[in-house]
Amino acid sequence: MAWVRVWPKWQRLLHAGLALTTVAALVTYEGGRLHELAGYAALALVLLRLALGFAGPTPARFTSFVRPPMVTWDYARAVWKGREARHLNHNPLGAWMVVVVLALGAGAAATGALYVTNHFWGEAWLIAAHALLAWPLGLLIPLHIAGVIHASRRHRENLVGAMWWHGCKRAESSDRARSPPEA
Amino acid sequence: MKNQIQGLLAAMAIAVCTSASATGLATCESGPKSGWQPIEKLEKQLSERGWTVRRVKEDGGCYEVYAIDDKGQRVEAYFHPVTLSPVPTKSR
Repeated sequence: MAWVRVWPKWQRLLHAGLALTTVAALVTYEGGRLHELAGYAALALVLLRLALGFAGPTPARFTSFVRPPMVTWDYARAVWKGREARHLNHNPLGAWMVVVVLALGAGAAATGALYVTNHFWGEAWLIAAHALLAWPLGLLIPLHIAGVIHASRRHRENLVGAMWWHGCKRAESSDRARSPPEA
Repeated sequence: MKNQIQGLLAAMAIAVCTSASATGLATCESGPKSGWQPIEKLEKQLSERGWTVRRVKEDGGCYEVYAIDDKGQRVEAYFHPVTLSPVPTKSR
């Protein structure tokens, strides 16, 4: 059986760093030193991922895996009926999860960092925006994990190993292309 | 498959609803609001001490103040609304 390296080490490290800092920031939601440190680290990591999403290696670019809304909708319906195609890179729903989590993470970290400056300290609208951007992550992370478990069982593969450890998935002739996206 | 997804969504909705309540850093036994001193008096007292008050709100029966103190540090401090004396807060 042939194996392909789908997610290189830098991408796995970025994912792990973002996962840990985001969870740390959510757990310490009341604020304090650890919350701020986790937030600054998450901000740096999310900005790096966004930059690489536009100008990084081809498979890691958003244009390589983000699909139009109608394609994603068709994919979601196929998941519902239990006959979606396997994707080597992020599947269309996973791709939108990437986009939404990165956008919310960037927004939450940026508003939090601004709030703890002397200029914006105590601004009610800013802390409200921070909460509105951050709390959906507490919903999306379990949904993301559920999606990973579902896709792993559906296609009989270890996606956790592929994203957290070895970075590899088996290659199959029926796979949707890793990059560039299928027409 | 449908049942799995529906069950998951229901579980997440419950989790979100039960975890959405936030907590403050202090509580005050301050009685009815008719006995409270006005916020303006607290603001005046703090500005005389060199603080720049950004926002005052009620939290746990206390006045919760966001301010820049006389040393230029950001502070989130609690004051008793009847006595206007500082209330110790739990650290975080």
